[in-house]
Amino acid sequence: MTLTRRRFLGWMSAAGASTLLGSSANAASSASFKGFPGSFAVLHDITLCVGCRVCEAACNKVNELPLPDKPFKDLTVLNEKRRTNAKAFTVVNRFENEQNPKNPVFAKKQCNHCLEPACASACFVKAFQKTPEGSVVYDHTVCVGCRYCMIACPFNIPAYEYDNPLTPRIMKCTFCHPRILQGLVPGCVEACPKEALSFGKRKDILSLARERIRKNPERYIDHIYGETEMGGTSWLYIAGNSFKQAGMREDLGVTPAPELTAGALGAVPLVVGLWPVLLTGIYAINQRKEKINAEEKRIAVAEAIERTHAQEKQKLASAMEKAGKDAQKEKDLAIKQAVKKALEEAQQGKTEEATDV
Amino acid sequence: MSEKTISVNKFLTPFNLVAGIILLIGAVITVLRFTQGLAGVTNLSDSNPWGIWIGFDLLCGVALAAGGFVTSAAVYIFGMKKYHSAVRPAILTGFLGYALVVFALHYDVGRPWRLPYPFIVQPGTTSLLFEVGACVALYLTVLFIEFTPAAMEWLGLKKARNIVVRLTLLLTIFGVVLSTLHQSSLGALFLIAPSKLHPLWYSTYLPVYFFVSSIIAGLSMVIFESTLSHHYFKDKMDNTHLTENTDVTLGFGKAASLVLAGYFSIKMVGIAASDNWHYLSTGYGLWFLLELLGFVALPCFMYAVGVRDRNVTLIRWTSVVAILGVVLNRFNVSLIAFNWHLPSSERYFPHWMEIMTSVFIVTIGILVFRFIVTKMPILYAHPDYKETH
Amino acid sequence: MEKARSVLYKAIIPAAVVIVTIFGVGAYGRNGESLNGKRADVIMIDALKIFGKLDRPAVEFLHDTHTKALEKAKKDCTACHLPEKDRLSTKYQRLSDVSKKQSMDIYHARCIECHKESLTSGEKSGPVTCGGCHKGKPGTASVREPAGFDKSLHFRHTKSLDNKCELCHHEYDDQSKKLFYAKGKEGTCRYCHKEAAQENRISYRQAAHSGCIDCHRKTIASGEKSGPLLCSGCHDPKQSALVEKVKNTPRMKRNQPDVVLIKTGKDEIQPETRMNFTPFDHKAHEDYNDTCRVCHHKEMGSCNKCHTVPGSKDGKGVSLENAMHQMDSSRSCKGCHEKQKSDKKCMGCHSLIPKTNKDENSCLKCHAKPPKDAMLPILPEQEPLFAKALLDSRRPMITSFSEQMLKEVPEKVTIKVLSNQYEPSEFPHRKIAQTLLKNISTNKLAGVFHKDEFSICQGCHHNSPASLKPPKCQSCHNKPFNEKNPMVPGLLGAYHQQCMGCHKAMEMESPMGCTECHKEKK
Repeated sequence: MTLTRRRFLGWMSAAGASTLLGSSANAASSASFKGFPGSFAVLHDITLCVGCRVCEAACNKVNELPLPDKPFKDLTVLNEKRRTNAKAFTVVNRFENEQNPKNPVFAKKQCNHCLEPACASACFVKAFQKTPEGSVVYDHTVCVGCRYCMIACPFNIPAYEYDNPLTPRIMKCTFCHPRILQGLVPGCVEACPKEALSFGKRKDILSLARERIRKNPERYIDHIYGETEMGGTSWLYIAGNSFKQAGMREDLGVTPAPELTAGALGAVPLVVGLWPVLLTGIYAINQRKEKINAEEKRIAVAEAIERTHAQEKQKLASAMEKAGKDAQKEKDLAIKQAVKKALEEAQQGKTEEATDV
Repeated sequence: MSEKTISVNKFLTPFNLVAGIILLIGAVITVLRFTQGLAGVTNLSDSNPWGIWIGFDLLCGVALAAGGFVTSAAVYIFGMKKYHSAVRPAILTGFLGYALVVFALHYDVGRPWRLPYPFIVQPGTTSLLFEVGACVALYLTVLFIEFTPAAMEWLGLKKARNIVVRLTLLLTIFGVVLSTLHQSSLGALFLIAPSKLHPLWYSTYLPVYFFVSSIIAGLSMVIFESTLSHHYFKDKMDNTHLTENTDVTLGFGKAASLVLAGYFSIKMVGIAASDNWHYLSTGYGLWFLLELLGFVALPCFMYAVGVRDRNVTLIRWTSVVAILGVVLNRFNVSLIAFNWHLPSSERYFPHWMEIMTSVFIVTIGILVFRFIVTKMPILYAHPDYKETH
Repeated sequence: MEKARSVLYKAIIPAAVVIVTIFGVGAYGRNGESLNGKRADVIMIDALKIFGKLDRPAVEFLHDTHTKALEKAKKDCTACHLPEKDRLSTKYQRLSDVSKKQSMDIYHARCIECHKESLTSGEKSGPVTCGGCHKGKPGTASVREPAGFDKSLHFRHTKSLDNKCELCHHEYDDQSKKLFYAKGKEGTCRYCHKEAAQENRISYRQAAHSGCIDCHRKTIASGEKSGPLLCSGCHDPKQSALVEKVKNTPRMKRNQPDVVLIKTGKDEIQPETRMNFTPFDHKAHEDYNDTCRVCHHKEMGSCNKCHTVPGSKDGKGVSLENAMHQMDSSRSCKGCHEKQKSDKKCMGCHSLIPKTNKDENSCLKCHAKPPKDAMLPILPEQEPLFAKALLDSRRPMITSFSEQMLKEVPEKVTIKVLSNQYEPSEFPHRKIAQTLLKNISTNKLAGVFHKDEFSICQGCHHNSPASLKPPKCQSCHNKPFNEKNPMVPGLLGAYHQQCMGCHKAMEMESPMGCTECHKEKK
């Protein structure tokens, strides 16, 4: 127990220090963090996607996932809205096009590989890592299975093997990290027949997106989704109408996820540093108060005792005096009475004598 | 022979019968959980990764176990000695509460034997869950040490007991620090998901809300739990406990009323700060108002009236309302107002086996509490140590 | 007593549980804001705004509802609108706003009085309480569109009014301070009636309403057929679409030219440095459009009066070049011509061609080279003739392939890019080229811009000079994601973007799926 605690205390202070340093460093740099230099990105041109699901099939093959019940060529699955799950790292959905009902919008969904990933910031065993290549990779050998990453992900991407009783893993797109390391492009990108997905350095991909928008202003809305959303992502999107129409949240803001919790983490050293001092202080004040109380009580008692003593003495004295006085009085009274009696007797004797006469 | 039958009969009370059935069902669910995975016993999905095992067992469990740190802080740090008799029951409830939280987590997380991994393999210090985990683990240890004197008195380990008692102040301060940290970080867990939690509940003040409401939960739990003990374990209580009970109820009721008033006002500040007034007229707004008025403002008022009229019954009932309020708040943040954007078909509702598991865990808690209270000097002072408290 | 209390508590708790549940269910169901409907007659009464900030929110007033209700009660417009000279005032129950109190009292007294009256007679009626009218936010979405007076309407009005232009058109004489009619100088109302009322001129809005509606009202009163009286009649897009349209209206007579010679600025520009003059077929464009306003602003003068070469204050700084070529303006030549391309017959190619203002080939289509024998500079009196000659020199042509070309254009092209997964794709090359030619044959604009038969080829064989033997696609499109040339898609992407992009833009039902182009491998 003590060992754990001691080690933990060490970590705590380290964590405290790192959060303090970390948050200040963040404050200075996060606004301009554009990902690792030379990291890769993909541009998904939503206007080009036709919903053929070839990318889904390629992803399934590359990642050796179990085959779905309905084959990938079956396009009826587009009738329902799907999300990524443990058996599909990417899905294509179809959306109504309000402006032009004849041309529905298709959009592919997969991990966006944030520049500052929420999942990585949320994981308490550091199972997620943003690689210099741009992918956010997951290490199942340390994962505890708490699923906080799934809570944290603003894009609702990580999925979980709920039916695996003892060794469940978080499942999500890897950006085909092993393939990228081999110099290949991700499976889905390679397979897309319409080249609705373009792969390259994030810097180049951004200018490609800008160029397309500039050359075809009536075809695209002037926004690159993922350039700044949640601090920026490695998957970028351009669209014809709105991203909301393609099932994407437009209200996520530009704050990177780690910044959202930086304040709360920064409060840790404050609490650790201030509370004990404050509480000990309060304790000391209370102790002192009690002590003073006790002292005052003692003095009061002593005084009270003394006072009673004195009073008693006085009482005694006065009693004595009184007693003395009383004795005198009695004596006097007795003498008086005796004298009186004698006088009376004498008087009586005289009258008797007179009546006798 | 005859003696045995008597003891069997004594054991077959309705309470024990129900508890036994619950334990049996719990055991079956446990087997299912570890053979079929979460999919077999829960309604969790990829969009709803956290259910009532987190929303109730963890969030409510930790909040309701706050009585330990609140009471020990009041008595040992703030010097309110007249509540001394409430400390041991509160610490015991706290200890059991936290122990059960950790126990419940073994059901929820994928690979429970890896729970120490964040501390021994690879700490993810940027995670608030790390902070929660670390503090809960540590605080559980603290609570255990704080609880040991009772056990040692029962076992007659005088020397060890005296050493631990000397650590009381240190442990109390440590407990308050750890509780502040993890109670607040349980709220801060949700700071990372502003896009998923309804704006009325999402606030940068979430950690403060969670911490302050945990104090309410702690105070109310002490009142509630003392009521129950008073009712069911009266024979175990000594005179001091019986006479101080009213004091504790009145004092804690007053404190709870004040904290509730404070909590109410910081909640209002939160709405004003993010200018969320317009949400109040929506369905979620009414639900939020119900929580705020019915389970914060109302108990605040009821506590105040109860204390003014020295109406112990009212205060005891109010504690139930206040506890429900905290439970409701935790449910709202983690389940009801979470994922509010999703269409209702994708929303989460717990599977009956999830609910049964929570009931099972609470039952274990009650049984262990009953065992300890009947065996150890919790509700009475041990005759050997009467003067030393 | 004690017992009663505990019973009470026991009752409160289940009740609380029930309430909590109800609220909880309520919280799950999200409530969207719904409006009563979409109407064109929503008027927000905020007349008191001219006296400063409103004390109470503006009142939402549904004009047509009131008109209909009054009609039912056998009342007419005069129930609310007082006569002013020979017309009705557009204000409610008054001719002018004297004081805030007075105007307010008129609304309060008369509105409520009428509502109460109809209430007592058992009719459906309006609110009689403060909050009933001053609600704050409108309950109805307004779909009010500006009413258009197009050439069809103008024709119908001239016809039914026996060419009495003076009934609507007038001029203002500064000296006598009176309106008078000047034959041959008719302009649009917007010449004088501006957005807001000025000194001695009412606003456009008021002029239109008092002018149009008053005449409609009187005509109807005399038992004749007339235009709409209700707001929706002119302002609801659904209703105004029902208004009868006269096709092939005769040309409006206002001495406008048949062909205009658009000169690049005035004489100070040296002939050798300016663009060729552009002949503009004014007469033809009158047919293409419903109103003069499509091109002209409020006045019918020539463009370069305000849009000078460097731009002027009168032209709001828009230079002549911009006025003619701005892509996103519906008034400019180029902007309007771009819009014509959104026809699905054109979109197949044009949706894939980036829009640019700097297409050298097309400049000369408008800025036609003057005939060699033309005498420059042209005298003003020669201008119309010269313009006519220029226009004739660039009449649209219907392009078609010659026998020779048809032989050269391959009939089918076999594409084997995906032959590892599918059978090779048979591409009906000649059929497509001929369809495209057919599509442009009915379009006058295309006839001018696609005079060159190769231009049709360049829809697909882009970025290389027009030729019978264009380079292969692979020459440029090969490996995807070339860092040196990121804008150029790979071969697979290029084919699919081109083919499917064109099919989609032309709203073709097929071929669309994979196997309609590539047969499944056996």
